[in-house]
Amino acid sequence: MNINAHLDYTLLESTTTEREIIDLCNKARENNYFGICVNGSYVSLVKQFLIDTDIKVSTVVGFPLGCSTTKSKIYEAQQALEDGAEEIGMVVNLGYVKSKNYVSVLKDISDVKMAIGDTPLKVIIEISELNKNEIVRVSEICIDARADFIETSTGFSKSGATLTAIKIIKKTIKDAAQIKASGDILDYESAVKYLEVGADRLGISTSFKGLNNNTRQQRNSKIYKQYLESAAKKSEGADLNTSSKETTINKL
Amino acid sequence: MNPFSQYIDHTLLKATASTLDIIKLCEEAKQYQFFSVCVNSCYVSLAKASLSESQVKVCSVIGFPLGAMSTATKVSETAQALKDGADEIDMVINVGFLKSKAFDTVEKEIKAIKSIMPNKVLKVILETCYLDDSEILKASEIAIKAGADFIKTSTGFGTRGASTHDIKIMKSALKGDVKIKASGGIRDAETALEYINLGVKRLGTSSGIAIVNGTTSKSDY
Repeated sequence: MNINAHLDYTLLESTTTEREIIDLCNKARENNYFGICVNGSYVSLVKQFLIDTDIKVSTVVGFPLGCSTTKSKIYEAQQALEDGAEEIGMVVNLGYVKSKNYVSVLKDISDVKMAIGDTPLKVIIEISELNKNEIVRVSEICIDARADFIETSTGFSKSGATLTAIKIIKKTIKDAAQIKASGDILDYESAVKYLEVGADRLGISTSFKGLNNNTRQQRNSKIYKQYLESAAKKSEGADLNTSSKETTINKL
Repeated sequence: MNPFSQYIDHTLLKATASTLDIIKLCEEAKQYQFFSVCVNSCYVSLAKASLSESQVKVCSVIGFPLGAMSTATKVSETAQALKDGADEIDMVINVGFLKSKAFDTVEKEIKAIKSIMPNKVLKVILETCYLDDSEILKASEIAIKAGADFIKTSTGFGTRGASTHDIKIMKSALKGDVKIKASGGIRDAETALEYINLGVKRLGTSSGIAIVNGTTSKSDY
């Protein structure tokens, strides 16, 4: 099973450097991941590096606490779109959830959704902070607010996604929105399990262990071939001033 | 008044803080005459309303706690917080840009925020737990050059809070009227006093009541 088309390759640590972002882009290309997810200040850089690919650039707003004002979240989302983001992940206002101020929880989400129009909105509900009833309630609110995805976790809380939570969300929302599992998905095997219980998209980090050898599908993909060609061209360029190019050709 | 009271920014920044928690925070700040309450930006207007009859100031965090949002977004969040009634702003620097040695970009961002609040206090959080000594010094110099009123150690969401070692490095960069705020891990009067003796002018803590009462708090911040 080729799962790469379900993966958002994610790097959100505050200490992330430009160099690490470029490596992230290269690896996303190599593996033909569905998307890449970075903080707002790196959206334009990532867009620049992935402009010739189908890889979707995704960013986060109100991250990771969800405690900025709705107006700030809207501004942040619009700024991200301007910088080239193609999907937005927003964190729900957990304080409002805990205050049982569900009207404000709904308004927070629906105002952001209205501001970004057709751009897919993933609402991160941070399941580690919610009990089962709250997971159900917040999932229902996300649907009412026209969220495109319900996402489990920021990766910055006590724990990440659980299979149980995915099942609860799936049972609640049926097919009214897609589900993204994120946080603590460390390898291929667990990724497959999440997809099997109803997740449509998975957030994985740079430490994710995929299958060792590329599947045939991957090797034959157009983008992967393009990547190999461009990589080959680059290394040719680098070799121009040396005799190694000739040597290689001679060997062939 | 307790001698510690006016050093303390009474702080509640966890994501799950409810409206009742914020109201309680404000009541405590009034009772103990703390300098300010420090809250997330969605609670600035609530805190302002709760403190309308008092001297306690409202302090909002910006770009919190990662500091990794775009500059335009931080400026907009600041403008909104000021409009909602914030008296002071605690912003997080872009640590990733600092690590990338994009020092100009870090400085420009701080300047951009200071430019919309020339007469209000801007504290710049360096998040020292992720920085080595030379980075702490560099970040301090950049923040001061860009117009920070305070340089501040920590968000409380990093791998550790303030240390006396951090403060000593930050002190060596101080110029003019710039002050230091220590935050993260200050839970009792003894620790608070240690920082004050080093020259720290403000303490960010969720343990203000324990500090003025001379007890120790179990809080993480």
